[in-house]
Amino acid sequence: MHPLFQNWKALALYFGVWLLLAAMLGLLISVAGGLSPAETAVIISPVAIVLALICLAPWYACRSLPLKSTAAGRLLGQHLLAAMVVSGAVLFLAEALAHALSGLLPGLDGRFSAATPVLAAMVAMIYLLSIAMHYVVIEAQTSRRSELLAREAQLRALKAQVNPHFLFNSLNSISALTAADASRAREMCIQLADFLRTSLRLGERASIPFGEEMELTRMYLGVEQVRFGQRLRVSIDVEPACNECQVPALVVQPLVENAVKHGIALIDEGGEILMLGRRMKDELRFTIENPYDPLAPSSRSGIGLVNVRQRLEARYGSAARLEVEASEDVYRVSVAIPMRNA
Amino acid sequence: MKAIIVDDEELARRVLREYLEQEPGIDIVAECANGFEAVKTIAEHEPDVVFLDVQMPKLDGFEVLELIERRTAVVFTTAFDQYAMRAFDAAAVDYLLKPFGRDRLRAALKKLEGRSQTPLAPAELRNAARPTGEYLERIVVRDGAKVHVIPAGKLDYAEAQDDYVALRSEGRTWLKQQTISSLESALHPRRFVRIHRGFLVNLDRIARIEPNTKDTWLAILTDGAKIPVSRAGYTRFNSLIGG
Repeated sequence: MHPLFQNWKALALYFGVWLLLAAMLGLLISVAGGLSPAETAVIISPVAIVLALICLAPWYACRSLPLKSTAAGRLLGQHLLAAMVVSGAVLFLAEALAHALSGLLPGLDGRFSAATPVLAAMVAMIYLLSIAMHYVVIEAQTSRRSELLAREAQLRALKAQVNPHFLFNSLNSISALTAADASRAREMCIQLADFLRTSLRLGERASIPFGEEMELTRMYLGVEQVRFGQRLRVSIDVEPACNECQVPALVVQPLVENAVKHGIALIDEGGEILMLGRRMKDELRFTIENPYDPLAPSSRSGIGLVNVRQRLEARYGSAARLEVEASEDVYRVSVAIPMRNA
Repeated sequence: MKAIIVDDEELARRVLREYLEQEPGIDIVAECANGFEAVKTIAEHEPDVVFLDVQMPKLDGFEVLELIERRTAVVFTTAFDQYAMRAFDAAAVDYLLKPFGRDRLRAALKKLEGRSQTPLAPAELRNAARPTGEYLERIVVRDGAKVHVIPAGKLDYAEAQDDYVALRSEGRTWLKQQTISSLESALHPRRFVRIHRGFLVNLDRIARIEPNTKDTWLAILTDGAKIPVSRAGYTRFNSLIGG
């Protein structure tokens, strides 16, 4: 249904505007054809009511011919054709009315005929204006909706970033260390606090330099290395040119957390997480690779992965890519983020 | 009281050992870092109590529970797993949330004295810990001291045998202490069909169905095995392949 019918105030405003338009149309035809005020009112009132209703139709037409994906020629052709048809139909109606009333008001059809070119042009123009207005409304709606989606994704990101499983396991490691190695326990408290603080701070920002994201990832890995000891090994190979690239916050760390939780943590002897970063001409590419046990007890698939994918999509559409390859025992996530050249 | 600690994290084992060493009457006979090792070690030592982590390499805590003697008392430990916690609460199984203190561990030990075994069958507990809409991808069975993993896709069919199910996979038969109904509810309902009170069959293995007597049929599997089909089973099979 047309959104105007869901809002009484907007509907009243719409018909209020139409009172003005009707007055303007009346003035035009009375000047062009020399109609009396009474004759003008009799002709224009039904015309205005019909036209006010017809001018709601572009809501459907505009949505079936979206601005972005419709060729300009087709767009113009379809709407102009519609405007002509509307104009012709309204004129036909008005002419029939004038003809029928000329018994009561002698000479009305003749005077009205003189005003038809003006009226036809005005009707077509009003209809085209209505189309333009509808496009504006539809664009505003879509941009509001995508903004909402982006915000939702952001919220989910914030929720996902303090993973309770990680937090409680880290606290357990600290608890274990306090008796035997108090200074390491303290060190781990500080590492954990640094990580949490930094991830909260970065999570608030829409974009951050890739270098900061990597720093956060290193902090995270530092905490996990206390927990997993020799089982978690890390190798990072990121070109210095990557560090300045602007990326959405929390695109790397959740993926690395996935690699730990679903890869390393489910292998007895652990393994090595490999990170690569390369700055290409118009995009930043990075991959995260980890060994995994295909026979491991089923663990729920990574929330982090889904979350990062959704946020990249909301932000860049198809310009960003996130690909997952799982070979026999290696899991690899590759991400490409477009760089707008500054 | 003989105790075994099962956790893949060295620090997690360390804190538990530190606590238990100070409890009179507790003797830690072994520590294990994964599920396979746990099943083997528990069979060897026959401990009175096992402290069992939920998330581990090879086998998770629920799978270990399915494979050990039920007279061994189990205290689960987990950092945070909402599904597991929900299942433990539902089954009134005691569990320790990491990090936990000495008092909480003592309370768990005290509770153990009064009880005999897990109130709920292990497979049922595992079903309770599964989020709705997710199904088992694999079944674990014990072969003496060894553990064998059957991926769900490699299971041909299961046959009820008293308190056990006989699992047929890759030309071999494995016995597991579980009811066929609990196995049925753990496996994907679109991949496995209960064609008879005593038989649960992998849909991919059914080559054809032939009439047998007036109200029964026979399912011929791809390897030639013949399995009875009841009237209700026939209806279930048809509704599965029909829709």
